[in-house]
Amino acid sequence: MFAKCSRSKGLFSAVVLIMIALLALPIAAQGNVELTLSIGARGFGDAAPILIEACENEVGGISVEWERISDVPNESRSIYVTNFTARNSKPDIIAVDVIWPGDFAARGWVAPIEDYFGDDALAEYLPGFLAAAQVGGSTYAIPLYIDGIHLFYRADLLEKYGFEAPSTWEALIAQAEAIVEGEGNPDLAGFISMWAKIEGLFMNWLAFFQGAGGSFFDADGNLGINSEAGVKSLSTMVGMLGSGVAPESILTFRPNDARLLFQQERAVFLMVQDFVLATLTAEDSPVKDAVQFTRVPYFEGNDMTNTTVIGGFLLAVNKHSENVGAAADFIKCFTSYESQVQASLIQGKVPTRPAVYDDERIIADAPGVAALGANFVYAFARPSAQTGTAYPEISEIMQTEISAALLGEKTPEQALADAEAQILAIMP
Amino acid sequence: MKYANRAGPAFLVPALLIIAFVLLFPIFQTIVLSFGRDSTSIFTGYEYAGLANYQRLLNTPRFITSLNNTILFTAVTVPIELLVGIGLALVLDRNFRGKGLVRMAVLFPWALPTALNALMWRWMFNTEFGLFNSMLSDMGLIAERINWLGAIPSAMHVMMFVSIWKTSSFMALLLLAGLQTIPDDLYEAGSVDGTTRFSEFRFITLPLLKPAILVSVLLRTMDAMRAFELPFNLTDGGPLTSTETLSLYAYRAIFQYVNFNLGSSAILIQFIIIMTISVLYILMIRRGDL
Repeated sequence: MFAKCSRSKGLFSAVVLIMIALLALPIAAQGNVELTLSIGARGFGDAAPILIEACENEVGGISVEWERISDVPNESRSIYVTNFTARNSKPDIIAVDVIWPGDFAARGWVAPIEDYFGDDALAEYLPGFLAAAQVGGSTYAIPLYIDGIHLFYRADLLEKYGFEAPSTWEALIAQAEAIVEGEGNPDLAGFISMWAKIEGLFMNWLAFFQGAGGSFFDADGNLGINSEAGVKSLSTMVGMLGSGVAPESILTFRPNDARLLFQQERAVFLMVQDFVLATLTAEDSPVKDAVQFTRVPYFEGNDMTNTTVIGGFLLAVNKHSENVGAAADFIKCFTSYESQVQASLIQGKVPTRPAVYDDERIIADAPGVAALGANFVYAFARPSAQTGTAYPEISEIMQTEISAALLGEKTPEQALADAEAQILAIMP
Repeated sequence: MKYANRAGPAFLVPALLIIAFVLLFPIFQTIVLSFGRDSTSIFTGYEYAGLANYQRLLNTPRFITSLNNTILFTAVTVPIELLVGIGLALVLDRNFRGKGLVRMAVLFPWALPTALNALMWRWMFNTEFGLFNSMLSDMGLIAERINWLGAIPSAMHVMMFVSIWKTSSFMALLLLAGLQTIPDDLYEAGSVDGTTRFSEFRFITLPLLKPAILVSVLLRTMDAMRAFELPFNLTDGGPLTSTETLSLYAYRAIFQYVNFNLGSSAILIQFIIIMTISVLYILMIRRGDL
């Protein structure tokens, strides 16, 4: 008898249980303010639990739960899209990629938080980075750490052939060719990077492009990609692939694939974000003593150009959070001077407060982080704040057209002209 | 007996409500959204835009490419899977020692999650560290590594190969069930009449297997037309958009560009295509001939 009815009974109880659970939700949230922080496990690693506990104590009256989200930006972004479209009040605090705040703010997903900080406090962060989170006079996110692109190289190989770290693309290509030929090792690649059709490819081309004197938007706000600098940068990338300086497999590489190859002593130059430094210099890394880094090169005659493309993460507050104020207080603590020193020491995170680079503890115990700071003099951000909700599609168009040129489907000129036409069609 | 049955439908109500909520409502919302502009919900801020999204899609080369990719992928993989599946099913239908073990082994690829499969093959096809390039170059068959997943059209070929490897066993399972419904007397009668192995297959097995073939082809076609996890995990749609399927395109429209309306239109076009193919198949099954 019971067995016969159990199916519909089970369903009925399930419905009742769900209803009770829905009713009970708001009650459970009272008392100690409970916040949820959504940030990647690799993103902040071991520093996350330590700093969360420290900030719980410092702010007081809050308890923060760490929601470990994917470190692949597109994956975590998909989750946020679902979450914010549904107007969920959790997570309260989210880590946002530097290219998201303009988009998220325009969609009304994140709350303006400048009033909880004040102008003086905001001025302590790197202005170029903070600008990515400022739309229409409001600040929607606070810089947490930078992940800029740098040129890593095998100092041992360069020394063997009597080279200095290259500052121009011309020098880099000549050195890579000489070293690969001299070593005679078919497994050794000259230059590797992340040229799969991902955001990193667009960043890569932007670095080449800026190094050729180009700018995505010119001084009048016009699209500047279909230009002499644009063609020069893309042709150089195509040429590196054609001449074998870059291996064909570079077209499938994401940052970690490239890092892996470099770490196995199979590449001379590696151009990716600085998060690889901790792994490359770890105790068990075969290249730990040989790896050094410098700023991203430029083309001859453009030595004053900014070529360090910055990525990285900021912290923003969910607009539908029930505790925007408490969340802002937590962010203030989590991105404070002391927190950033700790994040650098524990996890090698690159600070977003210029003052931290001069801290004695950083200079003594995290010299790599201090040295990376020098490259951020040449920092520039991607055109995400200006393009708002159109940015993801613009980036996708650029990735597709750059890939088309690299795969030889189109000439660089044609690819850039096609990209320009498509972008102009969707620009707001 | 009749009296007892009257309470039956009432017990179904909770289940039907849940089905209506989780199944029918999203479908309805997708249809309505596909005719909207800048809207993420049908309850708030919905703005009707007519056929604008459909027009835009048909003028988007990338959408057309994804449509072509999907059709090509389906048209190549399903027939090959069917052939391999029939072969496997015929082998599995035999009586031999260790039959259970072999059946399990054949089903293994199908039992593994597609995402896991895709990642596994992605490593094996990796240009620099992959198994295949390493084997081929050790045997001296290739001088330069093959850029399996980084070149057009080889990425599509790899994707087809992985799909065939994985789903042939599913076909085999369905066809095996069909084979086992064929009565042994027919084969006995055939052998009395002196049939050859081939004519036995041609005139007894194949005609009686037809319903099973149609069902399995229908299921696989619907599945292949919806392929998502495989390109998402194996190639991410690349290089360029050479392995981007309709599902992947719709996913990107929704989650990357946050354009629920365009994505919904793409899904609806995909839905109509799958519907049409399915109805054709079902009509064939009903008519009982091919």
